Amino acid sequence: MAAVESAGGAAASSTQDGQTNDQTEFKLKFCTVCASNQNRSMEGHLRLSEANFPVISFGTGSLVRLPGPTISQPNVYKFNETSYDSIYRELEAKDPRLYRANGLLNMLGRNRVVKWGPERWQDWQVGMPRIKHEKDKGSEGMEGGIADIVITCEERCWDAVIDDLLNRGSPLNRPVHVINIDIKDNHEEAAVGGKAIVDLANSLNKVAVEERNKVGAGSFDSGSAAARSSFDERVPDVLAEWQERWPNLPSTWTLAWF
Amino acid sequence: MASSSAPVKPLSVSEQLQQLNAARKIVLENPTYYDRIVKGILPIIGPSSPVELRRWGADFLAESLGTPALSTRDKENLTVSILETLRSLVENPNEDPLVLKASILAAASAYSVVVRWIIHNSYHIESWEHIMAIKSSILRIWDTAVTPVKICCIKFVQRVVLAQTASNGIGPNYNGLDVSLSMIPAGHPVLDPRLLEAEAAGLLDRMLSVLQDNSSDALLVDATLNLLSILIRTRPSTSNRITNVVLNFNPLKLANSPMTPRNKVLIRSMEKTTRMLLLHLLKRDPNNQLTPRIQQHIDRLVRSRAEIFDEANRKRALVEQPQAGQGDAKRQKVDGAVPQLQIPPLAPGPQSLAAVFTLTQNLGLQAFDVTQVPIGFASRISVRTLAGLDQQLLDQAINGIRGRLTTLQTTVVPIQPPVMSAETSPLGVEDDDDDYEPNFYAAEDTEQILNKLDTAPPDIPPEQADEENTLAPLGQFQLPPPPLLDPDTANKIGQVTASRIFGPLTVLEEPPARKQRAGINRLAASTYDRDAWLTLITRLATRSTAGLERNSAVKEEELDQPRVAINNMIREMLYNYILEDWRRRIEIAVAWLCEEWYNDQLTKRSQLSDAPLYYETWALRLVDGFISFATAQDKVLTRFLAEIPELSPALLGRLKSLCGDPTTVQLALTTLLYMVMMRPPVKEIALDTVAAIWLEYEDARPLAAKYLVKFRPGFIEAQKALAEGGNGNGTPAAAT
Repeated sequence: MAAVESAGGAAASSTQDGQTNDQTEFKLKFCTVCASNQNRSMEGHLRLSEANFPVISFGTGSLVRLPGPTISQPNVYKFNETSYDSIYRELEAKDPRLYRANGLLNMLGRNRVVKWGPERWQDWQVGMPRIKHEKDKGSEGMEGGIADIVITCEERCWDAVIDDLLNRGSPLNRPVHVINIDIKDNHEEAAVGGKAIVDLANSLNKVAVEERNKVGAGSFDSGSAAARSSFDERVPDVLAEWQERWPNLPSTWTLAWF
Repeated sequence: MASSSAPVKPLSVSEQLQQLNAARKIVLENPTYYDRIVKGILPIIGPSSPVELRRWGADFLAESLGTPALSTRDKENLTVSILETLRSLVENPNEDPLVLKASILAAASAYSVVVRWIIHNSYHIESWEHIMAIKSSILRIWDTAVTPVKICCIKFVQRVVLAQTASNGIGPNYNGLDVSLSMIPAGHPVLDPRLLEAEAAGLLDRMLSVLQDNSSDALLVDATLNLLSILIRTRPSTSNRITNVVLNFNPLKLANSPMTPRNKVLIRSMEKTTRMLLLHLLKRDPNNQLTPRIQQHIDRLVRSRAEIFDEANRKRALVEQPQAGQGDAKRQKVDGAVPQLQIPPLAPGPQSLAAVFTLTQNLGLQAFDVTQVPIGFASRISVRTLAGLDQQLLDQAINGIRGRLTTLQTTVVPIQPPVMSAETSPLGVEDDDDDYEPNFYAAEDTEQILNKLDTAPPDIPPEQADEENTLAPLGQFQLPPPPLLDPDTANKIGQVTASRIFGPLTVLEEPPARKQRAGINRLAASTYDRDAWLTLITRLATRSTAGLERNSAVKEEELDQPRVAINNMIREMLYNYILEDWRRRIEIAVAWLCEEWYNDQLTKRSQLSDAPLYYETWALRLVDGFISFATAQDKVLTRFLAEIPELSPALLGRLKSLCGDPTTVQLALTTLLYMVMMRPPVKEIALDTVAAIWLEYEDARPLAAKYLVKFRPGFIEAQKALAEGGNGNGTPAAAT
């Protein structure tokens, strides 16, 4: 065993230089969630993909709801069956002036270059390979169809996600950190929230990379301080520090299971 | 794959990782390759490989065994083949935590598959030995491992408990969640259900110890709580035990330690996770006997959480104040403020009662008429004030007033007129000292006393005499005449009155969605809900002035234009109310128009030829209102036109304007078609309208033509002939 151990250690140290590149390339996989998979989660999706994180996004509502001409006439679409592009074209044909003025067309224009259409969280088959989504932004690294971190943009959505995960019964045996960040559902707040999400993602990823760089060494055996600072344990610290930086975006966290 | 894994030596670790990633991509694209590829990479990821490869390998094994792309049956072969590798990874005492985590999670996925495999293949004792060894290693690691590894152990144990307790058969049946004790046949050579169940019970206890010890390690607590739902729901023998432990767990215990940002995150997390689990259980099984306790616990959690975070804010605010450390200075200030109460002596001369009790020297406050404060409000203020009043202060005030009263007694009494007797004292304007007028007081008194002496028989009781005497001298009192009501004001007040009729609509509850139909025995406006009130309003609008309007309507119009009868005001408001949400209030519109129509019929029958008729006017206004908002989906418009009692060419003609918009052409024409087919009396009018549409709107022609061909054959040909003739004559085609 000792020989094996030293061999492992040697291999690790000899590849240390070549390894650092690989290790800094390590990226946590994210999933953003809001009600309709249109505004907040898509802003987060785009920003995270621009920061080179693997990312997918969902909505927890029963239907995709967008504002209409009056408050009682929303434009309603089905999840998973309607593309951003078709919604864009429909609204543009309906009333281009209105939907340009309220920012919907602008938002849909952004969304249709990010991915095909809004997807519903509850219909997501976690762990089903996502290889047909190469054109989606942030799809690289998401082929396994699973995320390390789920970020919801509203308490209601966090509740829906947790309830759904409890309902599924954690068949995949895979831990996932579910974090809520309360972002108001308008374009300005979504932009701010997008920045905050990327900040959180970067902070989390930094910690994860540090953990992976602590190669080998029966670290948990020694029980030292270094061994205690694993990624999972540091998530609350990262979140607490992040919360100090973003005091206006209240957050909630839990460790759940896929 | 075996060929690519053979030349391990010459490849660098990163090159190997690249190859492995390529292999992974293949299985993701086609899961049937899992078996071959997993077996192919097993030699590369064994305990002697570099840690990067072991990490990748363990992750891949966990992914392969967990993937929903393979059924449990498909996974059997795969699982059995990797048990040995998994065992060696788990048994390595110095294994990298990341490798260990993934391996334990892979074992969690493997466990139920192996149990299922052994149930059907009891001869394959080797795989059972492997999984037993893996289990005992994991259970050994559990206590000493770092938290992230610990949560994976908990996950593994959860799967063991799931597989080794009896299922109620209603849980999900994917990924081995359905494997349970119920599947093991009696007398199985390897698996003894009693032993397995006993072991599961012990493991469940150990798993729940995190909650029973009220741990503050949020990671462990959350990870455990988030695993319990499926056990409670699908393994009945565990339900009560687990629910009780959760109900006894206090996620807010950490609140006693300092509120650092980290602790705040942890407390919130544990509290919310506990609450979500309980809410989830309530939702799935509302008839559970524990439901009231769960509900109570949730309420308590919400309250405590609010208190803790409120208090935290308050405490922090105190600490932030720079003077917080010098409490003494503050306390002195407060102490000094209490005893100083200035009670000025009364000015000489007669005093009102109010003046005697007035302590404030603020002139504005003295002039304030307390009687204007509503009694309920005043009593609340008094109670609140008395409750918070300093005893010393109250004593001072009482003593001050007492002093005033004694001085008053000594000085005022001699001034009283000598004729005053005890009997006459209530004759004055009583206690209402604000009205105190010395001259008036005295004059009245003498007169009354004279009266009394004249009239009173000597034997009547004194009170009664007093009463009679007080009534007698009161002169005739006249209320000031009300201001003259000019038509404008009357009109405004009328409008306010009318609008108040609509007030209850916002408060009244929506009638239940599924109403009982009383049929012909229905009594309108008898249910006290919104519908009933609306019936009342429509009748107020239509019938309140029925039979009164004949000539006056004409005359009034001549006299002054702006005057509007109250019923028309209500109509106007009803109209606005309907249009506010016309799709949902279409029924109200129909009911209203029915009332109008009925009223018009009565008017006509009463032979009052000059009385105004309302039905047509308001029907037109409503249709105009609806049409300006109508979209292609608004079939309610069809319904509306179908249900109102009478249709005129003008009414149906309004539909023409819908044809200006290509999206609503269909709506207009199907509405008309409906009239043609379902309302024979208006068939001709409807067809006339279709014909008019055909003439006026070129875009609507194809659809209109379809109906015309069917119901008015020959029309189009005639029109075409006419148009051609017209063109031949040099006039443009009519109205196209």
